[in-house]
Amino acid sequence: MSSEITIAQRESRLGWKLVAPCIGVIGLLIIYPIIYNLYLSFFDVRLTGERLFIGLANYERLLRDSGFYDSLLTTSIYLVGSIAGSTVLGLSVALLMNQRFPFRNLVRAIILLPYFAPVISVVFGWQFIFDPVNGIYNHFVVETIGLTDNRYNLIGDPRTALLVVILFDIWKHFPISYLLIISKLQSINRDQYEAAAMDGCGPVGRFFHVTLPEIYFVLGTLIILRLVWNLNKFEEVFLLAPNVRTLPVFTYYTAFTGIIDQGFAASIAVVQFIFLSFLVFVYVKKVLKW
Amino acid sequence: MTDRKTITRKILLALAVCAVLLFCLFPFVQILSTSLKHQFDWGNPSLIPIKFNLEAYKELLGITKAEEPVVPETVKALLDNPLLTEEKKEEILNRYRSTGDIFPYPRYFLNSLLLSASAASVSLLLAVFGAYSFSRLRFKGRKIVQRGVLFTYMIGGVMLMVPLYQLGVKTGLAKSTWGSLLSLLLIYIIQTLPVSLYMLGNYFRSIPYSIEEAAVMDGCSRLGVIYLVILPLSAPMLMTVFIYCFIIAWNDYLFASIFLKQFHDFYTIPLGLQSLFVSKNAIWDRIMSASVLTLVPVLLCFSFAMRHLTGGLSEGGLKE
Repeated sequence: MSSEITIAQRESRLGWKLVAPCIGVIGLLIIYPIIYNLYLSFFDVRLTGERLFIGLANYERLLRDSGFYDSLLTTSIYLVGSIAGSTVLGLSVALLMNQRFPFRNLVRAIILLPYFAPVISVVFGWQFIFDPVNGIYNHFVVETIGLTDNRYNLIGDPRTALLVVILFDIWKHFPISYLLIISKLQSINRDQYEAAAMDGCGPVGRFFHVTLPEIYFVLGTLIILRLVWNLNKFEEVFLLAPNVRTLPVFTYYTAFTGIIDQGFAASIAVVQFIFLSFLVFVYVKKVLKW
Repeated sequence: MTDRKTITRKILLALAVCAVLLFCLFPFVQILSTSLKHQFDWGNPSLIPIKFNLEAYKELLGITKAEEPVVPETVKALLDNPLLTEEKKEEILNRYRSTGDIFPYPRYFLNSLLLSASAASVSLLLAVFGAYSFSRLRFKGRKIVQRGVLFTYMIGGVMLMVPLYQLGVKTGLAKSTWGSLLSLLLIYIIQTLPVSLYMLGNYFRSIPYSIEEAAVMDGCSRLGVIYLVILPLSAPMLMTVFIYCFIIAWNDYLFASIFLKQFHDFYTIPLGLQSLFVSKNAIWDRIMSASVLTLVPVLLCFSFAMRHLTGGLSEGGLKE
């Protein structure tokens, strides 16, 4: 009996020992900075590290700052557009790839390319496509179909640039939605479709009565995870269109360019952190039983 | 009747597949095409260059020789003066060399490679033990550790940039070159550690206990089990996690731009490419060939590891 306890104790001690380095690193460089960030948001902080306590002044300023509200709006449009787009496209492509046709495995591999390509190696290609002088987009719209008379710099204007950013995001991330959905689709039992067909369901009916309920859970997971990742996205937005000010880009500008105000930037980061915590809470409660 | 129906169906299916392929591949083809075009050809919508141009690639890879400086006659006469030391001569010559035009791509590539590979290695090493601990061993507080990993896994770099920069300034690391590089390395480690823990934790849990028990019966210690049983069994997954971490660090622009701004020699690829892009005009061929060169090694990696990678991803590793 006593040796039983020592084995359990030994296991517990070993467990802590093995995980300790990770906890140390994460505690020091993630948890502590989050708390430090909250602390900094009550100060006027200079780039050099000097600071002055100003209480809630940063937050008061944030509530009056029109740039902040613009950025919230931009972020919302970006999140809704990119996530709706990549989920719908991912689902459609997954349904398509579930059919039989020649070279299916090759096509399936090619679809994943946009997701795996490093951001830096594709953003400039996208900039080129929409370039007002050389880009194929303007050539197509102006010369080929004559929709407008003038070549237009889509990325130069923040409003249209947001659309390009959303399209880029859909292109880059629909493969992961596709991948998660198709792995679920393949696990659906064929009998269920046959039973539904017997009951007189057409292809559309089968989709709504069999497929959708089965992948409902995957879709929910995908949407919440994509909300989390896209709320954190910086490179994809900033490198493609620096004038699209989603929350992360807005924070970056405030903290490191122009009139630098790191305390103010810290307060924006706190607001973003609250949004994020809420999303993670929903994810853990509704989706994950880990 | 049914024949015609299946034929229309087949055609529609083929069209849809082609449309998806076009959407996925077009930007890549465009990048490759522009990287091979001469400037006069850029505005041409055709994807096949009128005349192939390999100059941009040669320049980036350093195959083109540096141009001999054009030195005025009067200065040449001055250089012939035997009283001038070699050092002085070099100094005068250097004034006529245009150094602003050189884009040291191989150097940026090496910086990125070293930083990303070392961050991914350290992160993987720490994660193997950490993930083993909370996925296989029972101890008090294990649930909290698991939840904590999941939570930190979802914290974006943007929320940490101000405090981490301030910490860098406070500790004096951000002042020196090596300090900045060390900060960046640490940042890449923490950006990748939660992902590695999460992915490996999920994977270790799928390995049956009975295999481990057999090893313990044979007198293996727990560490021995990790080394002799768990690691060999999860080799493909370790590779996947490594590549995954590598890519996260490889993609980073945010922290590189914060910590390396004034250290031009240590620019990573994203930082170097971005600063080239904003500082000069008419460089599409160079930008695009740099894109291709950045893309190729990653694609090779992935085509090699694709099978394991997609498996690992659909099992829940999804960090971006």
